[in-house]
Amino acid sequence: MTWLFAILLFQTAAELTDEAQRLAKSGNTAEAEKLWQRAIVQSPKFFPALFNLGYLNYSLERFEQACEFLEKAAQISPNDFNSHYLLGAANSRLGKIDAALRAWRTAETLQPNSLRLLQAMIVEYGKGHYYEDAARTAKRALSLNPALPNLYFLAIKALQDAGDYARAFEIASQAVQRFPQEARAHFEYGFHLQKLGRVEESLQSLHRAMELDPLYEEPRYFYGDLLLKQGRAQESIPHLESAIRIRNDYLPARLELARALMSLKRWDEALRVLEETAKIDAQHPQPHLLLSQLYFRRGDEKRAQQEKELSLRLRRNKPELLELPQSRPFR
Amino acid sequence: MSVGSHRTQPDQCVGSISQVSDNCKGLANLLPCYDGPVPAAFTRALIGLSVLSAAAHAQGVINRGAAPEPKPAFSGRAFQAKFKDVAATAGLNHALLTVGNSDSKKYIIEANGTGAAFVDVDHDGWLDIFLVNGSRLEGFPKGSEPHSYLFRNQRDGSFVDVSSDAGLKRAGWGSGVCAGDYDNDGKTDLFVTYWGPNALYHNNGGKFTDVASQASVTGPEKEWSSGCTFLDYDRDGNLDLFVTSYQQFDPARTPLPGKGANCQWKGVPVFCGPRGLPFGSATLYRNRGDGTFDDVSNASGIRKAKGFYAFTSVAADLNQDGWIDIYVACDSTPSLYFRNNKDGTFDELATEAGLAFNEHGHEQGGMGVAVGDLDGDGSLDLIKTNFAGDYPNVYRNQGRGIFEDEVVRAGLAVNPQYVAWGIGLVDLDNDGLQDVFQVNGHVYPEIDNAKIVESYRNPRLVYRNLGGGRFEDVSHIGGTGLAKKASSRGAAFGDFDNDGDMDAIVVNMGESPSLLRNDLGPGAHWIQLRLRGTKSNRSAIGAIVTMSAGGRKQTLPLLSQSSFLSQSDFRLHFGLGQASRVDEVTVRWPSGFVERFTDLTIDRISELVEGSGSSQ
Repeated sequence: MTWLFAILLFQTAAELTDEAQRLAKSGNTAEAEKLWQRAIVQSPKFFPALFNLGYLNYSLERFEQACEFLEKAAQISPNDFNSHYLLGAANSRLGKIDAALRAWRTAETLQPNSLRLLQAMIVEYGKGHYYEDAARTAKRALSLNPALPNLYFLAIKALQDAGDYARAFEIASQAVQRFPQEARAHFEYGFHLQKLGRVEESLQSLHRAMELDPLYEEPRYFYGDLLLKQGRAQESIPHLESAIRIRNDYLPARLELARALMSLKRWDEALRVLEETAKIDAQHPQPHLLLSQLYFRRGDEKRAQQEKELSLRLRRNKPELLELPQSRPFR
Repeated sequence: MSVGSHRTQPDQCVGSISQVSDNCKGLANLLPCYDGPVPAAFTRALIGLSVLSAAAHAQGVINRGAAPEPKPAFSGRAFQAKFKDVAATAGLNHALLTVGNSDSKKYIIEANGTGAAFVDVDHDGWLDIFLVNGSRLEGFPKGSEPHSYLFRNQRDGSFVDVSSDAGLKRAGWGSGVCAGDYDNDGKTDLFVTYWGPNALYHNNGGKFTDVASQASVTGPEKEWSSGCTFLDYDRDGNLDLFVTSYQQFDPARTPLPGKGANCQWKGVPVFCGPRGLPFGSATLYRNRGDGTFDDVSNASGIRKAKGFYAFTSVAADLNQDGWIDIYVACDSTPSLYFRNNKDGTFDELATEAGLAFNEHGHEQGGMGVAVGDLDGDGSLDLIKTNFAGDYPNVYRNQGRGIFEDEVVRAGLAVNPQYVAWGIGLVDLDNDGLQDVFQVNGHVYPEIDNAKIVESYRNPRLVYRNLGGGRFEDVSHIGGTGLAKKASSRGAAFGDFDNDGDMDAIVVNMGESPSLLRNDLGPGAHWIQLRLRGTKSNRSAIGAIVTMSAGGRKQTLPLLSQSSFLSQSDFRLHFGLGQASRVDEVTVRWPSGFVERFTDLTIDRISELVEGSGSSQ
């Protein structure tokens, strides 16, 4: 009942907000929320109350409500970086990529050199397939602070997505020199060496990434994948298996392992991997596609057809699972 | 912040409410940081992880943004085949190929283009050229409509337009062409697909009559037919006919560019489709042996296949059981493989056989198909061309009709920047290995005015077969004819000047065609085989020929349609390299009869007649 007392005691929105702040700091967020709401009843355009309600809702993962308050806060105080920034974050959590980016682009005009903002934008641009925008932002972020490994990794991915492989490789090379103890740096470098056809060097880098971080599954998957591409199915299998041991639901590794086993005509093992995979992700069409091919190769056309039909049905249900739309500019 | 995808914990800088400052100032340090992981490289794996809504997938054609694979180190060997565009001197330049507006496309009907044929229609031993033409939505003044072209080979490197005399001046939205002697009268007939009724041109001896209506093969009027192939699926010695349609196209029911869910390309408003537009169909006509056909699509099981946008169709015995099968390249939908069950029915088994998708199970924008034996193992392999941002498929036959896409290992995953159409597996330098010739061109002219790396007009590509199923890009040393940029579609391959090397006729959107003459220097031997069926259909479509020379075996199928909606030379061309003799030729005729031929003379064209047991 503290809030009732406070309402009686504090008459202005500013006073209510101050008290709400005090309550919030002491952990009494429910009471604080009521006072902030009372404050905006009294003064609907009172920015501190609107912003703090937005912040509170964001913290409580009530993102829709957060957006409502933050949009108002941003309108009232259009030059307030934090409102736009948090509004973007709330939209991002709701999966509203374009709305998030619109808010963040406004925030960027207010604080163009905020690395925290730029990192968030790079990732969001990537999610929206605005790869050119992601790459441009990543290059700028990296130029602001070349000492942060994450900025290198974000830039590498953004450039790769945008099709600028030469620059992505260049940054991967810089990353591995600057951060020789970072597993991800070696992984990125190895990945791009492979893109240049330098297979053995790529394998070495991927191996170094595995050494530095034995629980890092991606280099193991790509190591196996690269061997399989070279027709070295037998050698690829232990690496793919180790990636799966680290992450049991690692679907690409599971499918690649099944392919390797099928190419070696190790039908029973492939069947076991695919059946497990189909259970792990029951909505994914690819395990059933490979099961269809496996049964067909073994001469069981009836089961092959059943698996095909299931695979095609799942594919129609979720076409986005198997597609990567092309880059487009953010407008 | 950790960097691994799965091990990353939510960032700690999302402040709790107790951290809210008193005055809302200085909050920046407490605001949520970027609280996800650095996206893992995992998303670059070939399994998509997109979580976008359907609206975000605003593309009319499937695409997966594939990056070029590294080109293997160049062998450094000279490539003797040199292609020169001689269309102007050959008299083909007035054949303007019109398919919609050249600067922008309102509907998909304006984008897909047409096929070409290298076929000897007057049986004088020299290849003539047939070009399918399109139209434009605004129409043309009467009498000036674009029409198909037939050019007769004058045997001196030039051609003369005989379209009018031959009765082949039909105007309309043409698509594809396939050839075959459907009535076994010794004269090659033509089937041409249209948006609207299709045409079956009976060859009366250099002049043609459209008998599609009498023969009952016009097809449904609203269908936009695309692929076609003659084949003898029931081994009765008469050529049957398989026809695909791309879709049921109706401009009145098609959204305008940028106005629908499938009408964008990289943010540029473009024509809609094929996605979102009505699917096409496949039709099988059985030849009754009296000049008419029965539609057996239902009875044969062909009609069971649904939900596709079909383009090129090829007929060949893909599972090596002696009966001819059918493969269809499909756009933005799984491709189709109809296995002949030897009883008049087919089962569609592309998914099971590994021919529906790429190696990672992705649908593709399939366009053209080449059939040949790229690794010299005696079984037929397929190469399918696809949309930009993707590789072709190199479907290597593992035996018994099981295929694996080995495009990366084959070295053909190096130029995904082009929309690829016509393709041939042809020995271009007569070294005894089948090379790859591919033509390209985007579908959206609008991209030339946008900030997009792709462009509407592209050069041609040639890949040399290195043996063992591996190729290298030799386009840069293949002559000036390859470098020309055009938005090309159909391509047919044949030796139009009978000089022992393979040339190409290429359809270019909004332009005259390219006649790419191969000026291969002397040194390598060759042989060309013309087949004549007696028990089999007279065109011998469906025959498979294996030639042994110099310790190497080569296998080629005799095809009706292939490449992109096109018809290549019926004569099978084998390069012999330095081999000075042919040891043996084995023909597996469409009737099932297997026959050996010896004593063949090299560096010439020979005719093999079924049952004669010797060359003629």
